Amino acid sequence: MFLTRSEYDRGVSTFSPEGRLFQVEYSLEAIKLGSTAIGICTSEGVILGVEKRVTSSLLESDSIEKIMEIDKHIGCAMSGLTADARSMIDHARVTSVQHDLYYHEEIGVETLTQSVCDLALRFGEGASGEKRLMSRPFGVALLIAGYDKDKGPQLYHAEPSGTFYKYDAKAIGSGSEGAQAELQNEYHKSLTLQDAELLALKVLKQVMEEKLDSSNAQLASVTKENGFRVYDDDEIAKVIATLKEQEKDEEGVDTEE
Amino acid sequence: MSTLASEYSNEVTHDVIEHRFNPYSDNGGTILGIAGEDFAVLAGDTRHTTGYSINSRYEPKVFNIGDDLLLTANGFQADGTALIKNFKNQLIQYHFNNDNKKMSIESSARLIQHLLYGKRFFPYYVHTILAGLDSEGKGSIYSFDPVGSYEREQCRAGGAAASLIMPFLDNQVNFKNQLDPETGNKKQLKYLKLEEVVELVRDAFSSATERHIHVGDGLEILIVTKEGVRTEYYPLKRD
Amino acid sequence: MVGLSFDNYQRNQFLTQNGHNAPKATSTGTTIVGCKFKDGVVIAADTRATSGPIVADKNCEKLHRLAPKIWCAGAGTAADTEMVTQLISSNLELHSLSLNRQPRVISALQMLKQHLFKYQGHIGAYLIVAGVDSVGSHLFSIHAHGSTDIGYYQSLGSGSLAAMAVLERDWKQDMTREEAIKLCSNAIEAGIWNDLGSGSNVDICVMECGKDAQLYRNYLTPNIRETKAKSYKFKRGTTDVLKTSIYNLCEVNEDVTMVD
Repeated sequence: MFLTRSEYDRGVSTFSPEGRLFQVEYSLEAIKLGSTAIGICTSEGVILGVEKRVTSSLLESDSIEKIMEIDKHIGCAMSGLTADARSMIDHARVTSVQHDLYYHEEIGVETLTQSVCDLALRFGEGASGEKRLMSRPFGVALLIAGYDKDKGPQLYHAEPSGTFYKYDAKAIGSGSEGAQAELQNEYHKSLTLQDAELLALKVLKQVMEEKLDSSNAQLASVTKENGFRVYDDDEIAKVIATLKEQEKDEEGVDTEE
Repeated sequence: MSTLASEYSNEVTHDVIEHRFNPYSDNGGTILGIAGEDFAVLAGDTRHTTGYSINSRYEPKVFNIGDDLLLTANGFQADGTALIKNFKNQLIQYHFNNDNKKMSIESSARLIQHLLYGKRFFPYYVHTILAGLDSEGKGSIYSFDPVGSYEREQCRAGGAAASLIMPFLDNQVNFKNQLDPETGNKKQLKYLKLEEVVELVRDAFSSATERHIHVGDGLEILIVTKEGVRTEYYPLKRD
Repeated sequence: MVGLSFDNYQRNQFLTQNGHNAPKATSTGTTIVGCKFKDGVVIAADTRATSGPIVADKNCEKLHRLAPKIWCAGAGTAADTEMVTQLISSNLELHSLSLNRQPRVISALQMLKQHLFKYQGHIGAYLIVAGVDSVGSHLFSIHAHGSTDIGYYQSLGSGSLAAMAVLERDWKQDMTREEAIKLCSNAIEAGIWNDLGSGSNVDICVMECGKDAQLYRNYLTPNIRETKAKSYKFKRGTTDVLKTSIYNLCEVNEDVTMVD
């Protein structure tokens, strides 16, 4: 009558006899339903790229915001229940501004990521009596890209489970499996920022169902010089054009052989 | 305020007797910070007093608080100690949260402002001075009022004999009211050598000791350079 | 004009009410002591004068002469100790002139206490009176309100506790002159080192029966300032000349008369 999980997936703070927290595991599943997001870290800066699912021709694609600014030097891309990301980003923005207020310096990217992950666990009560803030874990994962003086350009992946890892390149969302494999093949340490722009779109293109154009993809970069910056449509179009050129060249080489 | 019997019958007298607990006291002492080109010194006498009594002839009040920063909070010693303890705790937290990053003097100054302003309506009764090297390696002094207003300065005296020492510093460090006899123009500002600065500090304290009863016994000078922190001690008059 | 004037009393009261507080008279935190020995008496004082926490005078004189062989050490308001001492000194001299006798210490004591009592403590003079007269050697202390004490050893002032600690520890009956001097200077030193209101040097006055009083100004100088590390001589021309004006205060005429 009962499946193994059935009784242990109700409460968010109840372990199953096998030691699993089902609600957290389900939240990770929610991300796999989201649109693909990619982050690539180079020595020149970090590139974030996302796929936008324009589900209707009547939908204004500009209103889909999957890359957001946290502070001048930090931005993030999201995948999953994007509404949940609002409270995470709100928290991140407050933390960042507060750090500047208390220390008169830009917050470290890792410190910021840690604070977001602290919030991710607030579906339960805190160890020192903190109130339970949410009824369930977040259904969204973030790729946090930033630059700080001490560690340079960095890319972090923050999950609803409250864990985070630092990546050279990372893909999340529905196309993440294929995208991650592709990133594995293509990534190398000497990638330029421009290489990373192209790689991000190239990988997105491969995993997207629709045809890639400037309205269903979004790019952003974080560099030492310009901080966090979202590319406008023209810039994306330009990168797409360069990408096409590159592909044509490669095909050309193939045909010659 | 009370007046005894007087020959003037029409005088107005007010008898106000207040019974209020006063949580503050003054423990005397004086402090002095001077920034050089690639060093900073922070000095304080070691006398601890209440009223006309000496509680201790050696009670250090300038501290190396880690990350090559020097901190002192002069006035009511209990508040000074509390502030510095608080700062040290905050510094440890900062290291935990920021991957053991060394806290810059700019960040420390801002943090101290918040610690002080946090007690805006029950202030720490102290004059605070922070010394260290800035991000370019230049000597740096920050001074704070009791509720957190702060400023970066070349030099600053605080505590009991501040009003005696500060004009001397204006004249000898920033060359106020001094002309260059050759040109007749204002004397050009220049960085003082560490040896000169230590001499100035010693003279400032021996002079303050001569004229202020809450200053004396010993002088402790902490010096921060890129090599780290060093302490020097000189005895002062004990009367 | 004789005595004190109260002309401005009501005006000052009015000013005080309007927030213009009267300036504080310099109250000398002080250590003064006195001690009798076999055939005489010694008094001693430190030499620091303060106003608030500031040292106003590093080497002031707190030992006052009331008569050639009657001296007194003063603590309290500097002006009061000086003025009351001068006044009583004058009256004592007139007294001895009219009696054609050397003044007695108890006379000085009586005149001082009556004067101070009259002013109900407003004259802030705290004195140790000592001297030798036809009867022998005497040592008294007087408080600002007019009360007096007699004893073999006395201490007054902010450093009186530090000094009394030494007196209580080391005093003994029938000391020699040298022992008494040593005891008094030790007691003052205790005040100098341990009381912030006292400092600098030790002054001593010894009054022995049948001898002139001996004043040892700066008997001890344990607080000589070390030489400064730097020289603060300014080159000529360092100070800006803001204004120059020359006044001819008198006209000098030189008339030259030629002489053959």
